[in-house]
Amino acid sequence: MKNRLPVATSHKKEYWLSRRDRDNTPEYQVLVRNEFVTEPPDARGIDRRSFLGIMGASMALAGLTSCRRPEDHIVPYVSRPEDITPGNSLHYATSMPLGTESEALLVETREGRPFKIMGNALASPIGNSASVWAHASILGLYDPDRSMHALRTGEASTVGAFADFWKIRREEFVKNAGEGLVLLTESFASPTLSRLLELFTTTFPKAMVVTHEAVSDRAILDGHALAFGTPLVADYDFGAVDVLLALDADVFGTERGAFEHARAFTRGRAVDEDAKRMNRFYLAESGLTQSAAMADHRLRVAASRIPAVLAALARELAANGVAVPGELLGKLPAPKDVDAAWISAVAKDLAAHRGRSLLVAGRGQHASVHAVVAALNHALGNTGATVRYVAPRHTRFADDAALPALMTALKESKVQMLLMLGGNPVFTMPADLEFRTALESAGSSVHCSLAVDETSSACTWHLPRRHYLESWGDVSFADGRLGVIQPLIAPLFDDGIADAQLLSLLCTGTLDKDGDIVRATWKALSDDAWRSLLHDGSRMEDIPPVAPAPNNAAVAAAVETKHFNQSAPSRGDMEVVFRLSPTVHDGRFANNAWLQEFPDPVTKLTWDNAALMSRATAEALGLKDGDLVRIKVGGRETPMPVWMMPGQAEYSITVLLGYGRRKAGRVGSGVGFNAYRIRGTKYPYVARGARVSPPFGTHALACVQDHHGLDTERMAREGVRERVPMLLREGTIEEYRKDPHFAEHIVHMPQLRSMWKEHEYGDNPQWGMSIDLNACIGCGACTIACQSENNIPVVGKEQVLNGREMHWIRIDRYYKGDEDEPGVRVMPVACHHCEMAPCEQVCPVAATTHDEEGLNVMTYNRCIGTRYCSNNCPYKVRRFNFLNYTGKLPEIMKSAQNPDVSVRFRGVMEKCTYCTQRIERGKIAAKLDGRALKDGDVQSACQQACPTQAISFGDILDRGSAVAKAKESPRNYALLGELNLRPRTTFLAKIRNPNPALEDKRPV
Amino acid sequence: MNTTTTKSAAASAVLDDPPLVQGGLGFHGITEKVSGIVETKTPQLWWILFFLALSGVLVLVGSIGWLVYEGTGIWGLNNPVGWGWAIVNFVFWVGIGHAGTLISAILFLLRQRWRTAINRFAEAMTIVAVICAGIFPAIHVGRIWIAYYMFPLPNQMEMWPNFRSPLLWDVFAVGTYFTVSFLFWFVGLIPDLATFRDRAVSKVKKVVYGALALGWRGANRQWRNYELAYLMLAGLATPLVLSVHSVVSTDFATSLIPGWHTTIFPPYFVAGAIFSGFAMVLSLAIIARKVFKLENLITIDHFEKMNKIILVTGSMVGYAYIMEFFIAWYSGNIYEVFAFVNRGFGNYAWAYWIMFLCNVITPQLFWFRKIRRSIPMMFILSIFVNIGMWFERFVITVTSLSRDFLPSSWDYYSPTTWDVLTFAGSFGLFFTLFLLFLRFLPLISMSEVKGVLPEADPHHGHTHAHAEGHEGGAA
Repeated sequence: MKNRLPVATSHKKEYWLSRRDRDNTPEYQVLVRNEFVTEPPDARGIDRRSFLGIMGASMALAGLTSCRRPEDHIVPYVSRPEDITPGNSLHYATSMPLGTESEALLVETREGRPFKIMGNALASPIGNSASVWAHASILGLYDPDRSMHALRTGEASTVGAFADFWKIRREEFVKNAGEGLVLLTESFASPTLSRLLELFTTTFPKAMVVTHEAVSDRAILDGHALAFGTPLVADYDFGAVDVLLALDADVFGTERGAFEHARAFTRGRAVDEDAKRMNRFYLAESGLTQSAAMADHRLRVAASRIPAVLAALARELAANGVAVPGELLGKLPAPKDVDAAWISAVAKDLAAHRGRSLLVAGRGQHASVHAVVAALNHALGNTGATVRYVAPRHTRFADDAALPALMTALKESKVQMLLMLGGNPVFTMPADLEFRTALESAGSSVHCSLAVDETSSACTWHLPRRHYLESWGDVSFADGRLGVIQPLIAPLFDDGIADAQLLSLLCTGTLDKDGDIVRATWKALSDDAWRSLLHDGSRMEDIPPVAPAPNNAAVAAAVETKHFNQSAPSRGDMEVVFRLSPTVHDGRFANNAWLQEFPDPVTKLTWDNAALMSRATAEALGLKDGDLVRIKVGGRETPMPVWMMPGQAEYSITVLLGYGRRKAGRVGSGVGFNAYRIRGTKYPYVARGARVSPPFGTHALACVQDHHGLDTERMAREGVRERVPMLLREGTIEEYRKDPHFAEHIVHMPQLRSMWKEHEYGDNPQWGMSIDLNACIGCGACTIACQSENNIPVVGKEQVLNGREMHWIRIDRYYKGDEDEPGVRVMPVACHHCEMAPCEQVCPVAATTHDEEGLNVMTYNRCIGTRYCSNNCPYKVRRFNFLNYTGKLPEIMKSAQNPDVSVRFRGVMEKCTYCTQRIERGKIAAKLDGRALKDGDVQSACQQACPTQAISFGDILDRGSAVAKAKESPRNYALLGELNLRPRTTFLAKIRNPNPALEDKRPV
Repeated sequence: MNTTTTKSAAASAVLDDPPLVQGGLGFHGITEKVSGIVETKTPQLWWILFFLALSGVLVLVGSIGWLVYEGTGIWGLNNPVGWGWAIVNFVFWVGIGHAGTLISAILFLLRQRWRTAINRFAEAMTIVAVICAGIFPAIHVGRIWIAYYMFPLPNQMEMWPNFRSPLLWDVFAVGTYFTVSFLFWFVGLIPDLATFRDRAVSKVKKVVYGALALGWRGANRQWRNYELAYLMLAGLATPLVLSVHSVVSTDFATSLIPGWHTTIFPPYFVAGAIFSGFAMVLSLAIIARKVFKLENLITIDHFEKMNKIILVTGSMVGYAYIMEFFIAWYSGNIYEVFAFVNRGFGNYAWAYWIMFLCNVITPQLFWFRKIRRSIPMMFILSIFVNIGMWFERFVITVTSLSRDFLPSSWDYYSPTTWDVLTFAGSFGLFFTLFLLFLRFLPLISMSEVKGVLPEADPHHGHTHAHAEGHEGGAA
């Protein structure tokens, strides 16, 4: 018979179970260890937090097995830990570091298991909103491909073994002051890491420290260094801006501070509050970005021609009486063949709004462009008004300029040890550096990363990095806030090392606890202050803003006339623009299935990147959508599928970075095409001289919109053109001032009556939603927040190609106007919870019904899956589980799921529930407090995630509620309201503020 | 039998009508002819066809098995297009069934005596077609194992189905239709089954046919009761001809999707159903007539009459197609207009024009008497109609869903191998059951055909005749 073992072996041995037990042989000890493999990782000196983590994880595992009897050994509570009530959530503040940018977050945990991320209103200027990346990072924590132990030349090892190894090597390096030692880090903004890095450089003075980031704000800093003598960070006040000009800058998308800026900027368009004031947004860019959805006027211009636009603008500004420095004007060329009318109109507008205007250039532009922008902003009186500059603190920016020195050292075999903290340089380094080959010349190499990636597998040592949700750390924000990263769960895997721990190990040679290391940085804080920092998530430290005057001579000296007067790209000299992916970032999130399936805000492509080019360019090259071509730049080439995009500058190709990973994991490996292969040190963002090969194959691209023939069929195109103005209603500010109710009149609404008895409102709260199209920037944070909140499955590329994506809230994207000069419009659409819902009427088994609070509810257990409801839904927001999408989910990923929301089986219809679980929680909380439900008690996940507060949700019977007020807006209209469905979700029409001088020529 | 006697017998109808039964077949001749088909040794051709059809059934069973195991995702359905081939096939098969009921019930009430040669055949086809149809709504649901929620069964949740849903109406409509059609068919079979019983040589056949014949003796009283029952069932079945497809059409018509939401659907669907049903009867009858040498019983005149019905219903369908366009334009509703323009010129234009060609244009050839009476031509045209009517359902179901209100959700639907195999498999089932019918049951209603023989007329030989109901007997 197989041995069943006694649980407690430490008891005084009076009774024994078997002979082996009594003899207590070493084999028996092994057997005991094997039997209890789930014993806590560190039974000695366990602290409260990790105790809770273990408790929580165990409870969660127990809960996950749901209807089956748990087979694992669970650790019961002997006495219930303080604060933890099984089934109730606790929220903790933390921060997510992402390069030099960070987000202050609130993480929802249940029994010690984090499962939902949101913004931390106490610490963040964007309230409970958080970026797509932050929302999706919860899935990164539970990534089954994370490495669970260290590797030494490919063999399993431990962090401890590395520490022992390092102790010996460290002695040598201390002796020779770090000769031959190189530390290659990611960029970061963290007091602790900065402190440790300083310690590192003092310990190893001769060691080389290089920071690499695939996409960084280096050029902006360099530009500001040119203008101000010191690399300052621009801190914009978009709320004070009346006229904004963005040059090749996705200001509300992927540029620094996008969400913060979007929130501030949309406040300046809240026309219902103040119809007199509305800001205006000009955008000049080579390819449509998410920001184009907000633009009032857009100039289509190649990215390499942006300096020329800027030069022309400077001249026009001077002509309009702006004191543009003479030395600068003298140096700037007078480019021809730029759109003079557009630039002149913009210049007039900017000149008329001095001190209330703003110029922003994107990070892809050359440093000299940023210097000129700073000078022009100063000339417009914007310095100190709409833009101030701050000296970055605790921040390590990417220093691309140091890379060649590193490469030389490597190639000359001068590097004895290369330590890499995070990043994935083998994948992200400019191709011309040939980092992968050079890496082999390093004596030994160490790479710390979440998973065994391209870099790790080329290194001597791989160290498993702790996820930010399971480690201690801190962050620094540009506006003076300092935030803390606190672990939400005990590390999932026994072996691992946090960033602070590793850097500290490198300096001191001892493996300290990351909590202690971080606390040491903050030793000035009392325990009380520290605790309140942990509670709040951040504390503000005033930093003196500087409003320096630019050194115009230096700026002028930096201007290269050639650069500011480049010719337009042509067939033999095409342009390639490299952009950060709004989904997988620089590739670091490639193994995150939510992000891979998250549609690009503009192209709506999932699971791929593509060579985006205009129709004219594609036709001139004889290409069509999905054709595989080789893009050649500077002697290198990469395959890439073609995707035609409206609004793309001619012979300018946009490619997204971050795709084409080879060793990302089960999700991200082999997805998309690697654009880094054609990226060089000299042209990290905008390359010229590119050529495109003839097609050599095809590649299916999974786009969630515009399937099949929409662009080629004239009839369909006209159909779309005819209806979109009725669906997505918009007007100009002039129209709004004339008739605030203009949106209601766009579609003729007959007197609508119901044939049946209508639902009565009763005493219950009646839930409703309002979405302000004037505030929506189309970022899609709502989509991912909803996916996280509601356990929405990922279906994979093939299923997206089949049109079976599952997102409950999607962002519909429409183009407006000419294909070459289009405007972009976005519209979030989720279940409208119609009062007279067509889905409810047709379900033969009454699986979808109306509840007494106005929700259109789905009874999953009752649903047999006829799909009739979905057919009859005019909004097409219902999602059907065509296959068992959750069946093969790795066990660990189930931990990312919301325990309040059931996971749907195949054959069941699902859709937005208005976060019914949150409504119930809100009601319970109010009842426990003995009070009535009040506005704000219930926030839907999408509402919470929205950076611009475009979504309001609440009780429409409560006159004081935000949603009731929004619905009283004259801009309020119901999508397809003429169908008499009485949707509970309504929209507020979009308002544009076109420049009358441009409106006739370029309506966007 | 010579032409003069026939003429005087059929004088009650049209004086110039050619005889319904040709080749000089009398009472006994008919019995011998029809029973002979069943009583002779099973022909090799039957076995070949049967095994072909049976392999089709295997394909169907396999496809359904995989469907249950893997999920509806094996089909080409997607988000806007929630209904694809399964529903198309359902409507197609239900529609096919209609001809049988029309021939057996409505033509009976209208005393169209020519129906007797084909009604048994057509009714059998109805029942088999409805069986094929019934499979699709059952298997197209996401969770087949609880498809019984559709039925108003007492349960511990005290949960009723949703009586507002047209899908539930379908359950009742098709259920009733199948029950009544089956009863009608079976009642009609009784006298012929008795004939088989009486002629049976093997013990097994004697017992089985004997049991099925329900003790039929051919006594006068039995005939009186029988004919009354038959008449009543015909009366019951008649509204069903109109109601079933009307109800099926409400699946579409009561929804709000442009292209579905039209009031013309009920009559349009009924006309289409009769149209397709007759085409299917025609296709099958032409083969059966050839194989079983039934030229004397199913004459070219029968075919011509059926072709006329096809011409009429085909024109009605064509009218409906054009009317839909007109009404869409007249409504001034942009979504409605678009739905129809999209049908004709959008992503599924190819399907629309196949439908239009097969259903509206080619049946017009039946204006020509020569074509109406040409077996090869009518066979080809009937196949065309079958194809066209399948496409009609495809066009209605898929194009409307493919592009409805919000362009962001528009998508294209293409079937997968499994869609095709399931449909092909349903033909296997259809032919399997139909072949079994041909092998074991009288494919022509002997008693009724005898009833239209001149000899059956009580005034046979008299100069003035008046038609009196149906009489005949088990010879």
